[in-house]
Amino acid sequence: MFAYIVRRVLATIPVMAIVALFVFSLLYIAPGDPAAVIAGDQATPDDVERIRQSLGLDRPFLVRFGEWVFRIVRGDLGVSIFTNLPVSTMIAQRVQPTLSLMVLTLILAVSIAVPMGVVAAWRQGTLVDRAVMGFAVLGFSVPVFVVGYVLAYIFALELDWLPVQGYTSLDQGFFPWLENLILPSIALGGVYIALIARITRATMLEVLQQDYIRTARAKGAGQGSILFLHALKNAAVPIVTVIGIGVALLIGGAVVTESVFAIPGLGRLTVDAILRRDYPVIQGVILLFSFVYVLVNLLIDILYTLIDPRIRY
Amino acid sequence: MSATALRAPLDTAPAPTPQSVAEAAPLPDVLPPVTPRRGFIGFLRRNPTIAIGAGLLLLMVFVAAFAPLLWTADPTSLAPARRTREPSAQYWFGTDMLGRDVYSRVLYGARVSLLVGFSVALLSSAIGLAIGLVSGFVRWADGIIMRIMDGLMSIPPILLAIAMMALTRASVQNVIIAITIAEVPRVSRLVRGVVLSLREQPYVDAAVAAGTRTPRIILRHILPNTLAPITVQATYICASAMIVEAILSFIGAGTPPIIPSWGNIMAEGRALWQVKPYIVFFPAIFLSITVLAVNLLGDGLRDILDPRMAKSV
Repeated sequence: MFAYIVRRVLATIPVMAIVALFVFSLLYIAPGDPAAVIAGDQATPDDVERIRQSLGLDRPFLVRFGEWVFRIVRGDLGVSIFTNLPVSTMIAQRVQPTLSLMVLTLILAVSIAVPMGVVAAWRQGTLVDRAVMGFAVLGFSVPVFVVGYVLAYIFALELDWLPVQGYTSLDQGFFPWLENLILPSIALGGVYIALIARITRATMLEVLQQDYIRTARAKGAGQGSILFLHALKNAAVPIVTVIGIGVALLIGGAVVTESVFAIPGLGRLTVDAILRRDYPVIQGVILLFSFVYVLVNLLIDILYTLIDPRIRY
Repeated sequence: MSATALRAPLDTAPAPTPQSVAEAAPLPDVLPPVTPRRGFIGFLRRNPTIAIGAGLLLLMVFVAAFAPLLWTADPTSLAPARRTREPSAQYWFGTDMLGRDVYSRVLYGARVSLLVGFSVALLSSAIGLAIGLVSGFVRWADGIIMRIMDGLMSIPPILLAIAMMALTRASVQNVIIAITIAEVPRVSRLVRGVVLSLREQPYVDAAVAAGTRTPRIILRHILPNTLAPITVQATYICASAMIVEAILSFIGAGTPPIIPSWGNIMAEGRALWQVKPYIVFFPAIFLSITVLAVNLLGDGLRDILDPRMAKSV
């Protein structure tokens, strides 16, 4: 199993290399000449050329890519064109809100979606099942920001139960923090819940037809224990896989949700960077998000061996 | 004598039915024949999701095509004097902060969404099909292509599209290209998987044994069998492309602001949404209904075209 883990970790290296190459090319072909920007309006073409040489911008693509990767690996993501702050510092300042939002959404979505899928599979063909499947189609169809606005309108503006927007740091207490994140989490969780509930239902339907479920029923196991102990355990692998893949939805959705609810996180940083064409920041954020995404799925692959002892590598 | 007395009850008629038991009406000699409705109407009756989805989608296509004839005004004409009017008989969906008619803008916005959705679905299916076929048939290319696709897939699609848009000018064409690039890896993987499993089919072996050349095998035996899953996938891509377009426009990295698209209308209404929510809600409703229509169509198509997949999800 150790050999498998090593192999699996090594397999992520080419994937991350492709991501890095893509993200680097992004800056490489980005319009605008950094040398000309630094030289300013008064500079002669000679000045610009000198700055270009001193920055190493005149060297071949692969040499620059190699150096850039070397810097990234040491944690140096470059400097923002707009604020002149190191990109890593800007990202560090914005991590907490985004991480809070995503973790809360993850917990919320999994704890709602899995029971939904299980019940839908148990009561296949009934009204409950149809309601769950209908909800899933809706979840896939109504975009994150639409759900966000509807929720904010009902629960913040009309009912005045929760704050309309903003973010309170976790340092200022758990409940103020939670209060600000409930609506964004529900909005962000919609698609994610739909995805997980669908897969849970489909896998459970398959598992519930297995012989060992009949055996469990025959020996007198209770309905709850059959569903959640015997069946769900055996349906876990596809469900956990989809939870991992769905993190991409969370990341993409966070960018929008943070805009709707004015949460000062990485999503807002991305949007601001795009509007200002701040390429080093865009680069850094994409690199970070992709890295997290790859890491999550790597951990899940390794987790399989733990949750399902039948899997042996 | 005693023997006949014992046998006697058997000879008598069966005991009359007790009063409390109702007697069923006799069955008719011939049961009325079940005639399944054939033709178009029958098809729609048997597949209500396709009927509803296609119906709503056609309605949207109609709205987009005939927007100028549906009592709309010029969607870009400014009239600061009558800005932010509430919905009324004159301005059905109200006016925005520049006095533009929201009803006209929403109707014209259907054009952008549908254009982007259909174009991305077609383009990414065609490109993904080509890449998937090459990958499934050319052994040495498979490893390289799939590593690149894995790399691209590990960047969340919305971020990938955002990154592409950050490089180029805002235009509908660039939005289509950016979303297509983000969707291609998934289609390629799907097609490759289908191709690899089809290659193991006995009829392909038979074709090879009969001396059929590879291009002809691809054309006659592989390609037709990939069309069903690709069609289903294309509808889902169409739905997600419409959402991504709206998200890109909403965060200011999509369709240029002068073109009314649902994402743009919502982006402009964002500043005022707490006081004038209708500017955001009307495009939101249209977007959600259109995406829902496409998703329903996709679910319906999946059920009839791809029974194996229908069972799994």
